[in-house]
Amino acid sequence: MKVVLQNLTKIFPSRNKKSGEEVVAVNDFTFEIPDGKLIGLLGPSGCGKSTTLYMISGLQKPTGGKIFFGDDDVTELSPENRGIGLVFQNYALYPHMTVKQNILFPLQNLKGADKLPKDVMLERAYEAARLVQIDELMDRKPSELSGGQQQRVAIARALVKMPRVLLLDEPLSNLDARLRLQTREEIRRIQKETGITTIFVTHDQEEAMSISDMIVVMKLGVLQQIGKPQDVYDDPANLFVAKFLGTPPINVFSGEVKGGKLYLGEQAVLDVAGVDDRKVTVGIRPEGFVPDANGPMICDLSNVEIMGRDVSVVSKHAASLNPQIRSIVDADCRISVGDATVRFTLKPHKVFLFDTETEERIRF
Amino acid sequence: MVDSKKSWKAWLYLSPAIVLLLIFTAWPIFNTIRMSLLEGYNAMSAVSGVKFNFGFKNFVDVINYGDFLTYLWNTILLCFLTVPLSTLLALIIAVCLNAIKPFQRLLQTIFFLPYVTNSIAIGMVFAAMFNMVGNNFGDPNELVITAGIINNVIEFFGGERINWINVGSSYAANMFVMTVYIVWNALPFKILVLLGGLQSVNKQYYEAAKVDGTSRLRTFTRITVPLLSPMITYVVITGFIGGFKEYSSIVGIFGAKMGPTGDPDRLNTMVGYIYKSLSLQPGRASAAALILFAIIFVVTLLNLYISKKNTHY
Amino acid sequence: MANKAITTMNARNMQQVSATQRVVKIAVQVLLYAFLILMAIIIIFPFYFMLISSVKELAEYKQTVQTLWPNKIVLFNYVEAFNTANLGRLFMNTLYVGLVSTILSLVITVLTAFAFARLEFKGKNALFAALLGTMMIPGELFTITNYQTISNFMGLKTLGIQLGSQWLQDLGNWKNTFTVLIVPFLVSIFYIYLLRQNFLQIPNELYLAAKVDGTSDIKYLWKVMIPLALPTLISITILKMMGAWNSYVWPNLVANDEAHRLITNGLRNAFTESTGDVNIPVQMAAVAIVSAPLFLVFIFLRKYIMKGVSRSGIKG
Repeated sequence: MKVVLQNLTKIFPSRNKKSGEEVVAVNDFTFEIPDGKLIGLLGPSGCGKSTTLYMISGLQKPTGGKIFFGDDDVTELSPENRGIGLVFQNYALYPHMTVKQNILFPLQNLKGADKLPKDVMLERAYEAARLVQIDELMDRKPSELSGGQQQRVAIARALVKMPRVLLLDEPLSNLDARLRLQTREEIRRIQKETGITTIFVTHDQEEAMSISDMIVVMKLGVLQQIGKPQDVYDDPANLFVAKFLGTPPINVFSGEVKGGKLYLGEQAVLDVAGVDDRKVTVGIRPEGFVPDANGPMICDLSNVEIMGRDVSVVSKHAASLNPQIRSIVDADCRISVGDATVRFTLKPHKVFLFDTETEERIRF
Repeated sequence: MVDSKKSWKAWLYLSPAIVLLLIFTAWPIFNTIRMSLLEGYNAMSAVSGVKFNFGFKNFVDVINYGDFLTYLWNTILLCFLTVPLSTLLALIIAVCLNAIKPFQRLLQTIFFLPYVTNSIAIGMVFAAMFNMVGNNFGDPNELVITAGIINNVIEFFGGERINWINVGSSYAANMFVMTVYIVWNALPFKILVLLGGLQSVNKQYYEAAKVDGTSRLRTFTRITVPLLSPMITYVVITGFIGGFKEYSSIVGIFGAKMGPTGDPDRLNTMVGYIYKSLSLQPGRASAAALILFAIIFVVTLLNLYISKKNTHY
Repeated sequence: MANKAITTMNARNMQQVSATQRVVKIAVQVLLYAFLILMAIIIIFPFYFMLISSVKELAEYKQTVQTLWPNKIVLFNYVEAFNTANLGRLFMNTLYVGLVSTILSLVITVLTAFAFARLEFKGKNALFAALLGTMMIPGELFTITNYQTISNFMGLKTLGIQLGSQWLQDLGNWKNTFTVLIVPFLVSIFYIYLLRQNFLQIPNELYLAAKVDGTSDIKYLWKVMIPLALPTLISITILKMMGAWNSYVWPNLVANDEAHRLITNGLRNAFTESTGDVNIPVQMAAVAIVSAPLFLVFIFLRKYIMKGVSRSGIKG
């Protein structure tokens, strides 16, 4: 099921009645989520991603704009009529019911023509449980399960009525690091097996990048960029997106373009033909640095961290806007810790220029 | 050294409370049990140095004393009429209150009003509302001056007026008035506790239920009631404890005679029995108080047991 | 799995579902408000009845069908009620008993709660558990013995009779005194419990810091703990005052003379008959006067009352 958001806007009235200031949680969103894909809504807290998810679910009403599932306008439709499954951040499993009762619960709500016979319900509950591999825990209470198991039960409960769209709110935030890796693979697998259009919300870019078919990056209620994770990473639309994606994060410098060359301080580090002379903000991915004894960029070497497969070089540069520059280089490049400086050449496609005011990308 | 000094200080701080508790709490517990077990104990003879035999005669007397069983029956009947009714009504009102936004606080305040009243004083108001002024009730020559506002309402809807609490009124009518008054009086506390419980239930359970298309009735029976069961248990237990000690609301409506004119003590309760016999027959009063305690204890345990069986988390 | 769901969901007419759901939603809201307003009217009606009846002339009150608004508003019922029941005297008595017992009770409660919350002594937990245990026992069980105790305190009355000393007899007989209305109820385990919980929430480091600075216990209690526990103390004060205002059984039993009678049993005694051909407008005026202070307290201190009540279940 394709999901289309059209000029979606959500304004919360101010809590403080006197100041009367409104909070624009989601500002004029328009985008289309293709059928059968796994989409990550990504952004720092307060960016409106959860609000967007709740509007898609129908639990919150948009202030303006429309939501379509396929060709149906569902904007005015209440949640139960939308055919969605929703997994809450805290799972919201009913504490007084067993796992089986929790999973059966949505099916028992079906009325009229949709009503199912008991044995079919049970069969479907077990099918959903098998899908998330909790069919052995059916008679337990939620309080007797680990966080990861509760998460699976919540997913099974959302899947059991065969939703058109599956929504997950911060699905991994309550899990420990090891379970997180495992569960995100699990979500990917379940989504692949069911083929249900799935939208999940996260503030963790690594999580979003690793499993999504498409990511939607948001900031303060404004849509920043949509695309395949690799495309967004390789071709960020603005400084915020560039900074938000990638570990270690991108290195930011203040620079200047003069006569088709990019200067960091006094050093002309890269040819940038076609860019007018101006001051720019420069972002260089950690993997964009290549150690080169004759390289144009000269940095003060601080530390070399050996990570086996590759090496993390920590250095300093006068034009850097961060205290340190972190670059990831091939382990074959021998850099000795004793050296005072290290020189790099830069990979042009790992270097991004941004307007200093608007922070929009300047292409070259 | 420091510790022992501290300990000495602690007892100093505790001393006023301890002295009062010894006289007015600890001694009564012991003495009530003692008096209940001294056969035919009464204050007069005790002062003049009579020795009493040890035994259960007081308990036997209390139960054989015809009126006690009537009072016990009144008490139990009132409990089982008012506690379920007020709990159910309070639950419905609390759930409705929780489902609205405008005027929620105003309505909440209104529903709390009966709490801050004096049960004797407002009992007199209820009596006045049900009261008929006139003569020869039930006679063919019946002369009624005013039938009371409640009867006015009944007659307005085409019903027959009822002699609620006056001379010649029926036991059922008396019980009805008591039930209305006690429920009215019991609602505020129950609404307050249940609404507090509702507001502390995680909203996500309701959102999850909504996404799953759960009907309102099913949300109420399958989610609200189970999640609220600790609060419900609490109001039911306190309701039963209060119910078994019912006394002053009856005084409020019927006065110290505890019944309609011409039939005093018709609505008397266990506590009423205790107060009646406390000065002249403290032995029997003590036995009755212990029976009351035992009943409250058993009912509380029973409630806890039932709610344990139904609450699984 | 998904394919089937898509067909079932598409089979519906979304526009119609959406319209129905709006109608249902509005209907439910209307029903909710209708029910709540009806219940609210039932709850309020006795108060309304009390007020309108109290300003009616007796003749108007006795009309076959009662008026819902007085034809003529008169205030002399209030004057008569005030004089009949001697309400002025009852007010003063109740205020005196309420104030004295509240103040003494607060002092005892604070000291006891402090000892249980902050000080260490042998048998602390056992003693506290025993105190909580007594909360289960119905108060009526204490009343029987307490009635004997105050009639002949510590056997002083008997001793007085034996020795022929009137002074000793009076010392032993507390009946019809203010003492008997105040002393037996000074210690409330529930208030001690409430305040102790409140004190325990105050970090112990504050106490230790005060000790290091050489602050005395009393000063620390006064300067730190009491201000922090103020809301609880206010709740206790209100409930205690309301308790004095509403108490009936014990005052009726032990202090039912003119000089010491409290407001509630005074009211009930002044109007022994509430049924039959009695002057109901005057009764209602008396009830309104007695209820007025409670409503004032409620209006201004609702927050504290509701907070205290939701934790207690004890009728004030």
